[in-house]
Amino acid sequence: MDKSRKFSPKMAVNIGGVALKNPIMTASGTFGYGEEFTPYVDLNRLGAIIVKGISLKPRRGNLPPRIMETASGMLNAVGLENVGVDAFIKEKMPFLRDHDATVIVNIFGETIEEYQKVAKKLDRIDGVCALEINISCPNVKRGGIAFGARPDVASEVARAVKTATRLPVMVKLTPNVTDIVEIAQSVEDAGADAISLINTITGMSVDIEKRIPHLANITGGLSGPAIKPIALRMVWQVVKHVHVPVIGVGGIMDERDALEFFIVGAKAVQVGTANFIHHTATMDILEGLETYLVESGIDDIHDLIGTLREEGEKC
Amino acid sequence: MARKRTTVSAEIIQNREIAPLHFLMTLRLPPTFHPPYPGQFVMIRAENRQPPLLGRPFSVYDFYHDKKALALELLYRVVGQGTRIFSLLPQGEKLEILGPLGRGFKIDGRRRKLILIAGGMGVAPLSFLASYVRRRGAGSSFEIVSYVGARTASYLAGLDKLETMCSKTFISTDDGSLGYHGKVIELFEDHLKTCHGDMPAVYTCGPYPMIRQLADILRGCSGFCQVSMEERMACGIGACLGCAIPIRNKDNRQLYKRVCKDGPVFDIRDLAWR
Ligand SMILES: Cc1cc2nc3c(=O)[nH]c(=O)nc-3n(C[C@H](O)[C@H](O)[C@H](O)COP(=O)(O)OP(=O)(O)OC[C@H]3O[C@@H](n4cnc5c(N)ncnc54)[C@H](O)[C@@H]3O)c2cc1C
Ligand SMILES: Cc1cc2nc3c(=O)[nH]c(=O)nc-3n(C[C@H](O)[C@H](O)[C@H](O)COP(=O)(O)O)c2cc1C
Ligand code: FES
Repeated sequence: MDKSRKFSPKMAVNIGGVALKNPIMTASGTFGYGEEFTPYVDLNRLGAIIVKGISLKPRRGNLPPRIMETASGMLNAVGLENVGVDAFIKEKMPFLRDHDATVIVNIFGETIEEYQKVAKKLDRIDGVCALEINISCPNVKRGGIAFGARPDVASEVARAVKTATRLPVMVKLTPNVTDIVEIAQSVEDAGADAISLINTITGMSVDIEKRIPHLANITGGLSGPAIKPIALRMVWQVVKHVHVPVIGVGGIMDERDALEFFIVGAKAVQVGTANFIHHTATMDILEGLETYLVESGIDDIHDLIGTLREEGEKC
Repeated sequence: MARKRTTVSAEIIQNREIAPLHFLMTLRLPPTFHPPYPGQFVMIRAENRQPPLLGRPFSVYDFYHDKKALALELLYRVVGQGTRIFSLLPQGEKLEILGPLGRGFKIDGRRRKLILIAGGMGVAPLSFLASYVRRRGAGSSFEIVSYVGARTASYLAGLDKLETMCSKTFISTDDGSLGYHGKVIELFEDHLKTCHGDMPAVYTCGPYPMIRQLADILRGCSGFCQVSMEERMACGIGACLGCAIPIRNKDNRQLYKRVCKDGPVFDIRDLAWR
């Protein structure tokens, strides 16, 4: 540890009833179920691990190729491949418990009933601290339009999951909407304990020689530095209109990116694509953040959250 | 718990165009770098620079002790943005290296005849396999025969070195500019017909259509054939599920495996074809 450090800033935050030792979490789908990262990251030093999205039945995912790098980002069409909720509880949770990790389970379904069933199964599982619901996936009963694309459907999912579990529920919003505030308010009204945003932005990329899409799925979700300004803008808009804690996600590569999200009002952040590039990204960001707070004389992260001076420099 | 750095910093000793668009890069590694095994790969990125954002996977082409340091060689072709940027990096520049990664080739000591079938850049891991076998104690008792194919003669980068380690090398080019005019698998198939009795150990790496052709002709053969597969990667450690390829399991059910973690080397009979 750094000897010059005079005090350790308070990093603990409470996200809708979940006490986190610090506000750095892993974004779903970018950290697996934690196993691959144990050589690089002490899982119990993370604010929380948000595991790869879990569905009722195992899913095989999409045909390859599934990823492609684009300008300052990457497209992915993994297709929500996962082991299914039963195998997750049996095979993955014991490992996470052994590592004393704070686990938040990201869940999704093709129907509202599926969301409820997954939530019920996770309700009494030792070590599961909260659920994060991914509403970016297609609603099979409504012609495949994402649950999160319409405020009424988004709130229906949030309400359904809330009634199926006693765990705190975070709702993760899709940015592929016209009015993010409207969606955020509707899930808050439905009882969401916290809101995380953003999921990936739908995009595509074409191989001009072969004239084929780079992804077998044709479209994919854009993540990485390219989406940070959009994520930041959406967090800034949402925090003004909801009372529940907001978690910033999108393109956070280092502590400076994370700081931007805290300043606009995020109470915690999730690190995604950065984990692929530097497997210690979460720890680097955590340490960078602590150093920044010490150097700025801030002894509690809360004193930084939502301190954006919108009037700017001139006034 | 002591935290491992994920990447090590490596200095470029040389980065030379040995054939049009084909580069040989030699890197100096810190002594802590774990010795790689044939078929394993590394992910590389330019240090403190972007693009590319994500690391790019490359097979280990060679690895040895050079004076007091460790040296890693990569053989690569410029195909897109990342490889173009790598090709422009001068000597002395630093790279971030992650690895060695993945599961390499299995060497069965009882099979003394090795057949290597390389298409394009597939020569890189196979050449390292040949060096590795030759450098081992009983290395000279192995017979290594290689089949190397490329689009055109000038694309046969790495051939010179491989040839020195093989008792026979057969060459094919798509345009007939050198060796057999056609596909390398056709060449191998002709020789396979004359091959009786025990099947040798076959190792291969190359483009998808080539691997598929090989899988077809080996169907029903008793021998063992391992293939090093390629897929685009993001994390290199099995977390993103980006590098999936379809595999058939024992119950003949199709599932996805990760090239980075479950591979890159697979048994050719386990590959599932659409
Ligand atoms: C385990 C493994 C070992 C490899 N070893 C070598 C090696 O020794 N030498 C070598 O030259 N190349 C090797 N490759 C391929 C190499 O990783 C790609 O050529 C490289 O990532 C392309 O990067 P780029 O930014 O230049 O191309 P991009 O701009 O990303 O893409 C350009 C084109 O190349 C294709 N491509 C991109 N990445 C891959 C990939 N991983 N596999 C196949 N096609 C790809 C894309 O579909 C696209 O059409 C290996 C790949 C894997 C998975
Ligand atoms: C490969 C990959 C897989 C992902 N899988 C999921 C998932 O299963 N559930 C989910 O809610 N979000 C998933 N995401 C979205 C991320 O959690 C995150 O919202 C997004 O990548 C933006 O953050 P980033 O720019 O820091 O990566 C995935 C992202 C990537 C790149
Ligand atoms: S590259 Fe991420 S799982 Fe293989």
